[in-house]
Formats: sequence, structure tokens, C-alpha cells
Amino acid sequence: MAWLNLGGAVEFVRVRLGEAFGPVFFGFAALAGLSAAACYVLLGAEAFAEAVARDRDLMLAILPRMLAAVAVAGFVGVLLPRERIAALLGGNSGLRGLVIAALAGMVTPGGPMAAFSFVVVLRGAGSDKGALVAYLTGWSVLGMQRILVWDVPFMGADFSVLRFLVSFPLPILAGWIARQIPIAPFPPSAPDSAHEPTEPGR
Amino acid sequence: MSGALLFIWALALVLGGFAYVRRDGSYGEGLTRAADQLVRVMPRVLMALAAAGFIARLVPSELVGTWIGPGSGLTGLLVAAFAGLLVPAGPVIAFSLAAILLHAGAAPPQLVAFVTSWCIVALHRITIYELPMLGWRFLVLRLSASAVLPLLAGLMAGGVVLAAGRAPW
Repeated sequence: MAWLNLGGAVEFVRVRLGEAFGPVFFGFAALAGLSAAACYVLLGAEAFAEAVARDRDLMLAILPRMLAAVAVAGFVGVLLPRERIAALLGGNSGLRGLVIAALAGMVTPGGPMAAFSFVVVLRGAGSDKGALVAYLTGWSVLGMQRILVWDVPFMGADFSVLRFLVSFPLPILAGWIARQIPIAPFPPSAPDSAHEPTEPGR
Repeated sequence: MSGALLFIWALALVLGGFAYVRRDGSYGEGLTRAADQLVRVMPRVLMALAAAGFIARLVPSELVGTWIGPGSGLTGLLVAAFAGLLVPAGPVIAFSLAAILLHAGAAPPQLVAFVTSWCIVALHRITIYELPMLGWRFLVLRLSASAVLPLLAGLMAGGVVLAAGRAPW
């Protein structure tokens, strides 16, 4: 077990590579292989060559964009003033609060763990239900990282711009609607039981 | 296209500059996060893209066109929004599916509805994160407040496409 002596660095790389080349990767690799074979057999060599050429161009276009996108996400993740945002959204934040929450959601990088953890922080800071809904909707529908890393490469810039433009008002609208719905999301009787560690995934 | 690329790189440089002048380890931490994300995601994205490219050619485009193609109207928007609900997976699978549908002849407004409803619902996220961390009352509130959004986004996208007079893609 000599690799253990190298400490965290090797472990870091090992874990990341394990994730990178985990079941999801091989699932997609198998799917790519099967669909490539089906394409060749069913549609012929010419259609197959076309598909390969398109895939190759797409990948070459995506690589530089993806490098920049992950750098943006990494720096935003470090620089985002989470405490200040939480302070701005406490109490009765009005329409301004919905806009701030939606924008904060938009720039929050990372997966669901980061976003939902921040919602728990916001809730602790006294944000109202409208701000929480606006934040989550902003993150899920307009999240910049998701748009840069997934939407633009897969769907093309035209589609992403269209979707971004029409979705821009949605988080604010959702937050406003949430304020009109008479549901208390966190009953005061059990203020903290809702985010007790629970078995994930069930 | 190259404009978008320039924009992201400029953004990355500016943010990197901000992190650097803080001299508190933000710069290194940001780069570590970026490398982390890249290594984890890149291999599967490349495979997913390759698969999506081949599958798009195999999907019967008449079927896609009939259901959610241009001219499928409000019904098409509803079908697409409903389909988006049923994708219990992360962005690789959801956007691969959307790209396959796009190349098989789905109309962009219908796909806006599809992507929006997946973004809002994403069942795997609800079961793994939202219910344990925020509880079912919050979930009911959020979903009721968001129920009209996919259709609304699709309708607005349809309006933009009509106003533009042509599909820009």
C-alpha cells in the first residue's frame, strides 16, 4: 500500500478519475458504441461518416468553451459573497428581494448540493418563501454554469440565447406566485426537523 | 459563436483577476474547483455528445415532428413540458435528449418548454436533496408556484420566433 504514503494528492486524483470514468461514463460509452454501430448498419457508411464528422466538430468547438466555463464557475464559487446575499434577503425583502434572489441563483455554480445548502442558509437568515423559490428557480432554470457547460454545447448558442431571454422573468414570477399561495413551507412547530440528515435517495 | 467564446474567456480572466488580487488563496481554490469539475465531467460529456449525434440520426424524425415539431402548437408545448417532467436525471442526459430531439425536428419553443420543465422538476434532485433538506410542504409550494412556467416559457419562445419572422437556427 505504498500509494497511501503519498497522502492526499494521489487519493484526490484516484477519486476524481474514479468518478470521471465511473458507471455513467461507461454507460454513455456503450450507448455511443451501440448507436454508432446501429447508424452504420441501418443508414450506411455515408450517414455514419457524416455523424462522426459532426460529432468531431462539436467536440472541438466545446473544449475551449468548457475550459472557460469551469474556470468561471470555480472563481464565482470562491468569490460569491454568500453572507452578504443572505443578509440582503432577510425579512420583508419585497420585489427587490425576489430580483436579488433570482440573480444569486443564476450565478450560483455547482450542483444541487451547493444550491440546496444555500437555501438552508437563506432560510436561517430569515428569507421569506418567495425569495427561496425565486432563488431555486433562478438556479435551476437560468444557472449560468448549466447554460455555459450544457445548454450552449448541446443545443447551440441560438437556442440558449432564446431560452435565456424568455426564462429571465420566470424566477421572479415564481417567487411572486409563491408569496400569494397560502402554504407555510416550514411550520413553526418543527423549525429544524426538516433538514435533519436523512437517508438520501431512499 | 466566437463572440460567445470570447465572452466566457474574458469573464474567466476578469474573475480570475479578482480572485488573484485578493491574495487569500481564492485564486488557487478557484482553479482547483475548476480542474475538479473538468476532470469529473469532461469524459462523460464527450461520450454523451457522441451518442447523441448517432442517436439523432436514428430517431424517426416524422414522429418527433408530428408531436413536438413546428406547427404542433399548444398541444406540442404541453407534450414537451410533460416529457420534461419524466427525465429523472442530471444535465448530461437531459441535454443529450434535448439535442437529439432538436436534430430530429422538434421546434425550439417546444424544446424550451421541455428543458424548462426538466430544470424545475428533475425528480432525482427532489428525492435526493429537496425532500430531505427542505421538506414536502416547501416542495408543494415551489411546484405550485412553478407549474405554469414551462408553458409560459414555451409560449414566449414561440412569440419570439414568430416576431423574428424566421427561425434563426
